[in-house]
Amino acid sequence: MGEPKRYDVVVLGGGANGTGTARDCAMRGLSVLLLEKRDFACGASGASSGMIHGGIRYMLSDRKVTELACRDAGYIRRIAPHLVFRIPFLLPFASRAEEATLAERAAWYATEVYVGTYDLYQPLKGGKPSTRLSAAELYALEPSLRPGLGGAVTLDEWGIDGARLCLLNALSAEAHGAEVRTWTEATELVREEGRAVGVRWRDALTGEHGEARAGAILNATGAWSPRWGHANQVEVPMRPGKGVHLALDRRLSNYGIICKAVDGRQMFVMPHEEESIIGTTDDDFYGDPDDLEATSDEVAYLLEGAESLVPSVRRARLTRAFSGVRTTLYQYGRTEDALSREHQLLDHSVDGAAGLFSFVGGKLASYRAQSQEIADRLVDYLDVSPRPCRTHEEPLPGGERIEDPSELARRHGVPEAVARRIVYRHGSRARELLRLCDEDPRLKLSVCREEGVLAAEVVYLARHEKVRRLEDLRRRCRLAVAGCGGLDCARLAAQLVAHELAWDAEQLRAELHGLLELNWRERRPVLDGWQLAEEELLRAVHRGLGEV
Amino acid sequence: MAEGGAPIACDVLVLGGGMAGATAALAARDAGARVALVCRAPGSTALSGGAVSVAHDPSALPDAALSSRAGVVESARRIAASQLGHPYHVLRDRLDRLFTALEFATGQLSSILAPPSGRNRWLLTPFGKVHPAAACQHSMVAGDLAEVRGVLAVVALRGHLWWDAGLVASGAVRAQALGGPSPRVVPLDLFLWDEAALARPFDLARLLEAPGAAEEAGKMLAKRLPRGAGAALFPPVLGLSAGARVAERIGAAAGIPVAEFLSDLPSVPGLRLQRSIEERLQAAGVLVLRGEVHGAARPGCPVRAGGREVRAHAWVLATGRFVGGGIARRGELLEPALGLPVLASEGPFAEAGAHLATRPPAALTLRDSRSPQPLLSAGLKVDEELRPVDAEGRAVHDRLFAAGAVIGGHDQASDGTGMGVALFTGWLAGRSAAASARTRQLALPGGE
Repeated sequence: MGEPKRYDVVVLGGGANGTGTARDCAMRGLSVLLLEKRDFACGASGASSGMIHGGIRYMLSDRKVTELACRDAGYIRRIAPHLVFRIPFLLPFASRAEEATLAERAAWYATEVYVGTYDLYQPLKGGKPSTRLSAAELYALEPSLRPGLGGAVTLDEWGIDGARLCLLNALSAEAHGAEVRTWTEATELVREEGRAVGVRWRDALTGEHGEARAGAILNATGAWSPRWGHANQVEVPMRPGKGVHLALDRRLSNYGIICKAVDGRQMFVMPHEEESIIGTTDDDFYGDPDDLEATSDEVAYLLEGAESLVPSVRRARLTRAFSGVRTTLYQYGRTEDALSREHQLLDHSVDGAAGLFSFVGGKLASYRAQSQEIADRLVDYLDVSPRPCRTHEEPLPGGERIEDPSELARRHGVPEAVARRIVYRHGSRARELLRLCDEDPRLKLSVCREEGVLAAEVVYLARHEKVRRLEDLRRRCRLAVAGCGGLDCARLAAQLVAHELAWDAEQLRAELHGLLELNWRERRPVLDGWQLAEEELLRAVHRGLGEV
Repeated sequence: MAEGGAPIACDVLVLGGGMAGATAALAARDAGARVALVCRAPGSTALSGGAVSVAHDPSALPDAALSSRAGVVESARRIAASQLGHPYHVLRDRLDRLFTALEFATGQLSSILAPPSGRNRWLLTPFGKVHPAAACQHSMVAGDLAEVRGVLAVVALRGHLWWDAGLVASGAVRAQALGGPSPRVVPLDLFLWDEAALARPFDLARLLEAPGAAEEAGKMLAKRLPRGAGAALFPPVLGLSAGARVAERIGAAAGIPVAEFLSDLPSVPGLRLQRSIEERLQAAGVLVLRGEVHGAARPGCPVRAGGREVRAHAWVLATGRFVGGGIARRGELLEPALGLPVLASEGPFAEAGAHLATRPPAALTLRDSRSPQPLLSAGLKVDEELRPVDAEGRAVHDRLFAAGAVIGGHDQASDGTGMGVALFTGWLAGRSAAASARTRQLALPGGE
């Protein structure tokens, strides 16, 4: 085990807040260790709606929050321009009754005014102002909406790949000197005389273990915080809430559509990357965050709500249902939706663990500002005077330049559609990635035609993006995530990673099994229609021929 | 096949053109019936690995020598005894005919399939596993691990990354202790040009069919063969059609028996098998119609099949499971062609009966993907005569038979009995349909 290593800060958790804070601290010049017990974005960050929104819902309670959120959305666009994409939303004027009631008409007017006010903040995040659409204009834009709608207001927001956002923050932290370990759990908090002085960690894949000493420890383990806290005699109160999304095999609509669930809650159907997603539920969750699955009831609830405005959703092909657990601040006696999305940094000196802080609440869209706030507090606590925060200025890896996909496609002899997806995921690093194709033309082999993944990308990820397990590719290039579930790509990708990471045949098949098992968990609640045929093929190939 | 045309009168109408439907049609034809077969699109057979897996012994010890394992029929009996929902269990009193059915099917498809011996052949898969098959294509015979003597040369295509010869060979390494050959990876300079990476397995198979290509590959192989090589194993791209005899040509040029291993998807051998089946149906005088089936009520009534009106005394339903579309779930489980009840499954809901169809998918699946999954084993329930039954267990119609994956109760996609069930039930159903059509004609001269 050797002597414990010393750091200024140890960060627990590889979600947006953990990786964001690790990056911020490392850029300020602190020595940082980040520990993640699985892979980046395995919790709420990866299972979120994937949006960098401007916090329109906070306008009612505190306009300052909306202004901050919009400003920060603008910063995120600046530092990761390749990874952020526009999602225009429609807020249709809909009534579930035959004739809209007076109250509903008043609510529509209020919506218009409300969104109009939000327009004041849109320039901060590079968003477009809202437009009032007549019924005719609405149906021209989105013919699949149910008949009888009275028009709509538009609303401009940003989408993002939450998993890659976390990964890029981690890579940036590493580039600034942080030590980043995935599949490594902080098994135990080390305490001395009323202070938290370090953690013991264990690598789940190699069994390697050690101790890290730190001036300050940040617990950013999200939904896992209460359990981790309990095991280490500190209390992390929160109201965990489970959120479920459904994914479709393609884009069902051109625009995001805001609709109402049967209980009046707001939900959405929106195009996101190459698919549409429907979300979300919000229910108190006191189960095991390691054991999340969507229930039949949650699936039916979301479909019912989406159907109220987009009837064709019943004929659409659902590919999976993914779930995450939000960490909202502890409040008693309020419904889930009424809970604040505010955040808090808990100081555990009251638990006799000075130096340990837990982050609770917050949202993906403001991860950068939250991380900055956390880093400020840690710097204060450590009583050091490092460099100032620059996470809003310095681009994330790949965000330095916008590449031209057509030019890259021509230069390296790959299809333009593929180059476009690679540029989306990797930004300026696409250049370095595609150079692998020049060195070895075999790497132009297509691994996933849906997501535009080439063999070269899998090799690049294995070499440069901290891939330790096959399932890590799910979060880096959406391998086996889409409708096919890995039918075409899983064995091929496993072979490529095995070659890079020196896996033997047994390990390769074990990794394949792990990947397919994760997929199965997300797919079984929604198996219907042709997706069931796909599952039959998947099973024939992997269980039948591969015995994985 | 033109739209419209005169109505067709025949003895047996088969719905479905995969292994089950084809065997049924050929068996009925063999019994002297006039047969029409309607098929919509290639299904599970075309997407299969290309061999005929019938059964392997569920009670075999993992370290038992390959050559000493139970034979095909004995293995099927053991499955029948241990899996109560399996079609082999339903047909347990007739399993003595299984080998006859296998001989019939392989005999009919002798242009592509090698005759069965009664024991399983042990064939490698792209995942480095060893897969038992009661019969296989001629192009696979030389890869039977129980037969290869000496060294097995596993060919790596240096220009293409789709298969990993080392991974394939790892299966043979483990089988060595069970009496298999010792494998050696042999890289060949095939498909080494710049754009080869863009080629898919079908493209590679087409390239090897070109005049001289197989011979050239064979000569290349001859130079690289390790000492003591008894056979060489290629990726499953040895020609799009069985008639091209690519494996044979490479073997002749290299002076060594050559085989291909089994395929996952996309599957060249699967499509090759489907192609041979269709050629055989034509040659045997089965009237093949292409398209959907509409207005199907019951045998004897007219039905629109592939744009033609068909009247047949007996029907065989061989429409497959979810891939074929014989069973579907659209909010609930159903059998789309005739609206028959979906009653059979394995695992905890084996006895769910009528409730099976309406349960949500999560309730019909188990967390561990390796467990038996009731949803994926859902299908029709049949009696010993292979007639679909209703919830009370009564046959839906005297002259309606089912064959292949549309019959539920087993995970046909992955339990290694899919093709065996297809050809056995196809053979039985085809013969029964022909016989019942004959009785029907005798009872009612002039037909209905």
